[in-house]
Amino acid sequence: MTDTAVVPDAPIDAPIDAARQAMLEEFTAALGDGFVASHITPGKDLMVRVTNQSWAEAGRVARDVLGCTFFSFLAGLDWMPSPYGKGEDDPTAEPVARDLTIKQGYTGGDTRMQVFARVVNPETKMALTLKVDVADDDPRVGSWVNVYAGANWHERECWEMYGIVFDGHGDLRKLYLPGDFEGFPLRKDFPLVARIVKPWPGIVDVEPMPGGGNDEEESE
Amino acid sequence: MGLVESGKMPQPLTKLLNLSRKYSLWVYQWGLACCAIEMGAAFASPRYDVMRLGVIPFPASPRQADLVVISGTVTDKMAPAIRRLYEQMPDPKYVISMGSCANCGGPYWDSYSVTKGIDQIIPVDIYVPGCPPRPEALLEGIVMLQQRIGNEDMAARWRGEATDIGTTAGANRGVHDD
Amino acid sequence: MTAVVSDRQALAYIGGQATDARVNVEIQTDDGMYLNIGPQHPATHGTLRIIARLDGEQVISADPVPGYMHRGYEKLTEVRTYPQVTTLVNRIDWLGSFANEVPFILAAEQLMGVEAPPRAQMIRTILFELSRIANIILFLGDMGVQLGAVTPVFYAFRDREHVLNQIESATGGRFHPNYDRIGGLKDDLPKGWLAETAATMVKVQGFCDELDDLLVGNPIFTQRCRGVGIIPTDVAMAYGLSGANLRASGVDWDLRRDAESPLMWNKADWKVITHPDGDSFARYWVRLQEVRESAKIVEQLCGQVPAGPIMAKVPRIIKVPEGEAYVGTENPLG
Repeated sequence: MTDTAVVPDAPIDAPIDAARQAMLEEFTAALGDGFVASHITPGKDLMVRVTNQSWAEAGRVARDVLGCTFFSFLAGLDWMPSPYGKGEDDPTAEPVARDLTIKQGYTGGDTRMQVFARVVNPETKMALTLKVDVADDDPRVGSWVNVYAGANWHERECWEMYGIVFDGHGDLRKLYLPGDFEGFPLRKDFPLVARIVKPWPGIVDVEPMPGGGNDEEESE
Repeated sequence: MGLVESGKMPQPLTKLLNLSRKYSLWVYQWGLACCAIEMGAAFASPRYDVMRLGVIPFPASPRQADLVVISGTVTDKMAPAIRRLYEQMPDPKYVISMGSCANCGGPYWDSYSVTKGIDQIIPVDIYVPGCPPRPEALLEGIVMLQQRIGNEDMAARWRGEATDIGTTAGANRGVHDD
Repeated sequence: MTAVVSDRQALAYIGGQATDARVNVEIQTDDGMYLNIGPQHPATHGTLRIIARLDGEQVISADPVPGYMHRGYEKLTEVRTYPQVTTLVNRIDWLGSFANEVPFILAAEQLMGVEAPPRAQMIRTILFELSRIANIILFLGDMGVQLGAVTPVFYAFRDREHVLNQIESATGGRFHPNYDRIGGLKDDLPKGWLAETAATMVKVQGFCDELDDLLVGNPIFTQRCRGVGIIPTDVAMAYGLSGANLRASGVDWDLRRDAESPLMWNKADWKVITHPDGDSFARYWVRLQEVRESAKIVEQLCGQVPAGPIMAKVPRIIKVPEGEAYVGTENPLG
């Protein structure tokens, strides 16, 4: 995953996804100011980014206006590249200088962490992925429990793993981890202590691919 | 029995007692994850029937069990429950750790929530490696345990000495050479 | 004549009366008693702990506590290479493991722009359905055990062995096959595998018929399942319930038919089964019919596997470009 090119926009002659385009227009019309950016992967997915203040409203728009009554999931994203490197780096070699700039994915963003959710319209079977920035110093965003009942546990998990507080949830407590666990594990700066104590020694052997493997690329 | 406490058990009596103990083990299956399915296949499936070894997998509670087979990943959240289970079992008790997750953390050795092997919490007698070990591997582990019980020194165990349970030396040798 | 009663007899009599009294009277609990079901309990598959508050013998509230099997997959995948992650994701749904490899591999292929050859896609579909059959067979047997019928689980394990035999002869692992690779599959199939698999499906259909006799027609089973645990459709949607559970609540949605996927489900003739009640019986019944449909799919697809390469041209060291991809598949657990 060392390619540095940002994913380019869809080329001019790519098929225009009319259905998703229409969904996007409906969404922006209903949400108005809260909408920030969007991205359509033709034939596959529609992503929108909204402002932090309009997150709960965006959920309501998705459910009532776009008819997306199926709540698929809600999770967090931490865009910071891991300061501990990739697990498959050779521990005996010199540590390489790593590029630690934060680059967000599709639909961009301004903060290190984001919350994203996916909802689906069961009639048209089209899905909508919503993203929102959360501030670095005080990560909080509105809760979706009043819009989708299923968001309850997803938000608890997101808080437990990233430390993002959901205003209005009312019951943020640990879901998966034992009660006395300290730290937010899925943040990139949370180390996997076992790997630091003993780095993975097996990067030298790479299984040759079946039916070919004619590329003369060196193993790392 | 006074004989056991005083350490003057005649050899045939020890052998008889060990024989009856090893062929009537009651297994409490602590099935956690994927290994639990292989353990279920070993215990409940007609093909790898474990009852033919004398091992009955249906104790009603840990207080009635001789042997516990811990199969599957042990997380830090689950660890106190396992400790409590081990303490509830009456002596003489044996532990088989099945699968690499229970042996040493397995494929999740670097996870933040996985205990790297249950031997950090309870003493283990037999380790059955594999991910998941085939039911036959678990049966081999149980047979090995039975051989060791057959060679066990009951007086030492009664006195509470921390000895390894028996050895496989002198027992029926299969393909092992130890 | 007065009988002289010894102390021991008197105590025994009192004890007997007390036992009778306990049996005839419901358990008195004042404020609600907390009963801990789990985390290790024969009924809690996969270590779920339910803190149930009881009033007498009625459960008035239940608070599920998950997390006893939380292994931190997301964090672990950050430090592994793509082929290493395949072994890891096998173990998420450990009953039918091939199904877990597929969405991950498909997402990686989508980002890399690689397409596996048709032979590989067809074999992937067959193995996916085999793992679904193995998974649901175990569920069908275990549901009997939860309700007190111990026999079906032995039949389930026996018939699962047939399916696991097939998976093992192709991939080397009974479950956790680790057979899918980015761009195709690891190895080609052994000779005669397709014919054997089609023959195994006959046994699977036989198992479903046996279960029909044993459980579905059983009045005790239906009494304990019908009308119990009803999940209305809108609640199911709001909570994101998916898979067979959603179809048991009446929603006609199956990603094998509705989502575009490179896997070859559209080459077979099969039906999506739904059930209008949302109760436990519906969920059981839908899954039973799904095994039948899966067996039909496997039989049909076994006759249609094209010849050809098993692996597309991918570089030796996999480098997946940055990006975001989402692949949804209809996995056996939902």
